[in-house]
Amino acid sequence: MSVPFFELQGISKYFARVIANKDISFSIRRGEVLALLGENGAGKSTIMKILYGLYKADEGRILMDGKEQKITSPKDAMKLGVSMIQQHFSLVPAHTVTENIILGNVRGKIDYKKCEEEVEQLAKMYGFDIPVRANVGELDIGVQQKAEILKALYLKANLLIMDEPTAVLTPQESDKLMEFIKNFTAQGNSVVFITHKLKEVMEVADRVIVMRNGRVCGDLKAEDTNDIELSRLMIGKDLVQPERNFDSAKERTVCLSVKNVTVQHKKESPLINNISFDIYQGEVFGIAGVSGNGQEELCQVICGALEAGSGTICLKGKDITKDSIKDRIAHGIGYVPVNRHRDGMISNMTLAENMMLKTSYDRQWLKGGLINENKLAGYAKQAIDDYQIKAPGPDAEVKGLSGGNQQKVILAREVDIGKELLILNQPTRGLDLGAINHIHTIILRERMKGKAILLVSTELSEIFRLCDRIAVMYKGSFMGIYKSEELNTERIGLLMAGYSYDKEAAN
Amino acid sequence: MDAKSRDLIITNLLAISAGLVLSGFALIFLGVDPIAVFGNALKTIFTDKYTLGDVFLKATPLIFTALAFAFTFKANLFNIGAQGQFYMGAIVAIAVSLKLDGLIPTGLLLAVVCLLTFIAGGLVGGLIGFLKARFNANEFLVSMMSTYVVLALMNYLLRTFLKESKGEYPQTDALTRAAWIPTLVGGTRLHMGFVLAVLAAVGVWVLLYKTPLGYRIRAVGSNAQAAEMSGINSKRIYITAFFISGALAGLAGFTEVNGVQHMLIQGFNTGIGSAGLGIAILANANPIGIIFASILFGALNVIGNLMGRMPGINIPSSIIELMQGCVMIFVIISYYARSYMDNRREKSKLKKVEES
Amino acid sequence: MIINLLNRALLMSTPLLFGALAEVVAERSGMMVTAIEGIFLVGAWGGFVGSYLTGSTTVGILMAMCSGLVVACIYGGITIFMKQHQVVTGTALNILAAGFCTYFQRVIFGVPTSPLKITPLANLPIPFLSGIPVIGPVIFNQNILTYIVYLLIPAVYFMLYRTSIGLTIRSTGENPEAVDVAGISVNKIRFMTVLLAGIMGGLAGSFYSVGYLGMFTSNIIGGRGWIAFAICFLGNWNPRGAVIGTLVFGFAEAISIYMQTIGGGEYFPNEFFIALPYILTIVLTVSRKNFNVPAKLGIPYSKEN
Repeated sequence: MSVPFFELQGISKYFARVIANKDISFSIRRGEVLALLGENGAGKSTIMKILYGLYKADEGRILMDGKEQKITSPKDAMKLGVSMIQQHFSLVPAHTVTENIILGNVRGKIDYKKCEEEVEQLAKMYGFDIPVRANVGELDIGVQQKAEILKALYLKANLLIMDEPTAVLTPQESDKLMEFIKNFTAQGNSVVFITHKLKEVMEVADRVIVMRNGRVCGDLKAEDTNDIELSRLMIGKDLVQPERNFDSAKERTVCLSVKNVTVQHKKESPLINNISFDIYQGEVFGIAGVSGNGQEELCQVICGALEAGSGTICLKGKDITKDSIKDRIAHGIGYVPVNRHRDGMISNMTLAENMMLKTSYDRQWLKGGLINENKLAGYAKQAIDDYQIKAPGPDAEVKGLSGGNQQKVILAREVDIGKELLILNQPTRGLDLGAINHIHTIILRERMKGKAILLVSTELSEIFRLCDRIAVMYKGSFMGIYKSEELNTERIGLLMAGYSYDKEAAN
Repeated sequence: MDAKSRDLIITNLLAISAGLVLSGFALIFLGVDPIAVFGNALKTIFTDKYTLGDVFLKATPLIFTALAFAFTFKANLFNIGAQGQFYMGAIVAIAVSLKLDGLIPTGLLLAVVCLLTFIAGGLVGGLIGFLKARFNANEFLVSMMSTYVVLALMNYLLRTFLKESKGEYPQTDALTRAAWIPTLVGGTRLHMGFVLAVLAAVGVWVLLYKTPLGYRIRAVGSNAQAAEMSGINSKRIYITAFFISGALAGLAGFTEVNGVQHMLIQGFNTGIGSAGLGIAILANANPIGIIFASILFGALNVIGNLMGRMPGINIPSSIIELMQGCVMIFVIISYYARSYMDNRREKSKLKKVEES
Repeated sequence: MIINLLNRALLMSTPLLFGALAEVVAERSGMMVTAIEGIFLVGAWGGFVGSYLTGSTTVGILMAMCSGLVVACIYGGITIFMKQHQVVTGTALNILAAGFCTYFQRVIFGVPTSPLKITPLANLPIPFLSGIPVIGPVIFNQNILTYIVYLLIPAVYFMLYRTSIGLTIRSTGENPEAVDVAGISVNKIRFMTVLLAGIMGGLAGSFYSVGYLGMFTSNIIGGRGWIAFAICFLGNWNPRGAVIGTLVFGFAEAISIYMQTIGGGEYFPNEFFIALPYILTIVLTVSRKNFNVPAKLGIPYSKEN
């Protein structure tokens, strides 16, 4: 048996409040695609960041070609031919593609022309179509990712670590990425592929390492295993999926009516381009699409954070187009934003305080001019029980809760506020399967209660599982609104990339 | 008492001591024995009623300016103009007091002046808040510059309209006793203004932590984006917070003019703005903590003055600033020390759980 | 007479430009040097003490730079490595610096009967160039510090936009993670720019005591460190904006001094002219739009997010 390219032996890493990695041991062979599979929070990113020198291991060692290595910074890792592409791109949006790629790799005076030519050559070599002089911030996410990959290739990497690379790609772009990976490894290089998506693992990986709670709990060849076994290893038990009860053709009343809404900033292309649709009571209306195509703006226009340039929005027949956020909250619109830390909660405050974030003007919390703390605490306790939130109590600071529990707090609040309409933008992003399942159950429960639900998601499995109708959003427009049965992954993929599938069908 | 609170008290005491020790070294340069001098000063404070009263007297305006900074700090805004808002309050206090002196009963006069200084300081603050809300102006710079502008205004007024009848110096006439804030403790200079300051601190605490407005201010301060998304009008909060902040600083003008100086002169209380900022930092912007930290700084002030008057040795008054600065630096370092110890504690807790 | 005024404007701009350029570089890496006022002050004091005790202005200026460096070191240590709040730490240091300088001025010199004086820097007119009509006497008849600042402008510009270190500094302020991932220590870069600000700020402070007034008083800086801070902000965080901003303020200050000396008090009170630079700052701060503020300015960097 040949010596593995890289080997990790007994690596452990402790952070202040969590054990990120415990006794991790596995090897990476040359020319292989290794998938690092696990739920969010399993410790996959951490172990690779240790290999890349961003973190220092508390215990254990790293060997390359059998010899122990001291990797104390990314510079050491890069010298060994290791390169890592982060989940949240480590690019500077205000700088050009070239400037980003040469960062840290040039000395003294910069000859911009020469560098641009070098980068262009490299891009051609790998078949990447990237404008090397453009500012990264202006590029599509798929192109940004290519820039990140190019950065790694510029450094002549032999081991490429990719952290959740397909999170922001359409199915077709993901396929192209898989092709690149296959070609790259065919040349004798290795790829470690961090993911939580089983499908990708089965598609492209040679071997799979499954991690759970910071430990390795599976090291298998891809051909020797299947979805179900991997899923069981990932979560440690079998998952019961919620029942979908789809009785159709009932009397349906319109709850939300969006007509010809456009949002455009000066001379740029419109963020929302003349969108019209209705959502019925008791329906889950899904919006699929790669993030960044106007989904967040659409949610914001409906909840009042963004003003519509033209068009109308009606809630149960009442025109709310000009209403403030505060008014729309009073009308019964709940909103779970995609960026929960930035938009949905206040980390420094307690669970109870976060529960009144949207209703602080309400009389219900007032007692003699002061906040009725008992009532608030009671309300928060109720939410903790109903939603099985793992928290010490209503006075716990939300920043101490796990991502899944934080999301449950927000959900508890918004479900209560959203008595008519509930807007959910990627509500399960970054959560573990158990939490995802629970949230899906809640969504279906609210649907049964007759609420109108708008669900924006980039996870197709989630869209198909929960939605009655699906719209695909691309560059600010709907590529069409379809019944759930009318679509499959391939068709949605084309729509997400901007191909109207009628045209495709005509071929 | 849990580990965190214990850490808090111990590190704060250590920091204050370290700061004093370091400034003590500075005394050695003057050939002075720091221990003897400090000891002497402390003895005087605790034995002489007048001196002890002065500690709380000096603390009074500091409480106001510290509250001023802390209040906007909770909204993640920086009001560096407390000194200027104090001057504005002082101008209004002397102008109104001179006009009404002897015309209306003392109680009514003091109430009117108190209210007007509150509003005057509030207007200056509110203006800064408005500029921030409407133009997204950097309130840090605007408020800082505003102090210099108000100072120039005050100097101008002292030279012209407010000038004393004698016309000799740039200062106002003195107020008669009818416009003085009554003494709190006989035999000292300490006046009721101190009570007002303590009440203000308690009031600020209640406002911030027990009312919906305070909740909204803190929400905007912690995460303005989330607050906006939740229907809270952050712009209005900016203006409100700055108004209240400026008003608090303006009240210091009332207590100092009507309670201590009984006139308006140049160059008095020139450091209470930045000292207030420092105190707010020490107390981590907690209104109740501010009361104690202000008393500490008041004590440092008095110690510095006592040292300056000790016969035979010439300790300059700048020792006060030196002491304040040293204490502040060490308290900031203690914040770091506490979070470091906290992290270490959590990590070892984790390791213990693992090993069991 | 106008020429005199312009000459003075350039003169008064010198320290502001040192400070503003230093602040630009530091803020581009993500650090607001709020201790700049204190750094100016220790620079003025160190410069005076060095010049007075050794009789050499060069030694004085070197001492000024060292003093500024020491303060910057403390500031950087607390804000970068201990990750404490920048406004809070800067304020503490400014108070400490004020107390320290006034106190030790007394310790070293006692209470002098008349203010201590040193000969301020002389003007060094550059041969031939200073003879050019109009711009000659304005630009080329200044003291050595002003000439240094002239050279500094293109140097800083070149460094920031055309060298690798400049790219790294700018990236640190925009997205420190990108720099971290490239294997460069974010904290080291930031500390470096803060130390540079200490040296240049100290130099700026020395201008007031050694270069211009020839003496030291405890309020010799009077908020001008903060004006340099403001100029960085108003100049949109780039050297060109810093130059323009500085010229505007230098001009305002020159006019202010001129009006006070000729007794403009007939039309406007003297206090108005004293307040002019500050009023100007407020007006500019309010009307300024379109900021290119470095994305991560003021936020300490830590890996464990």
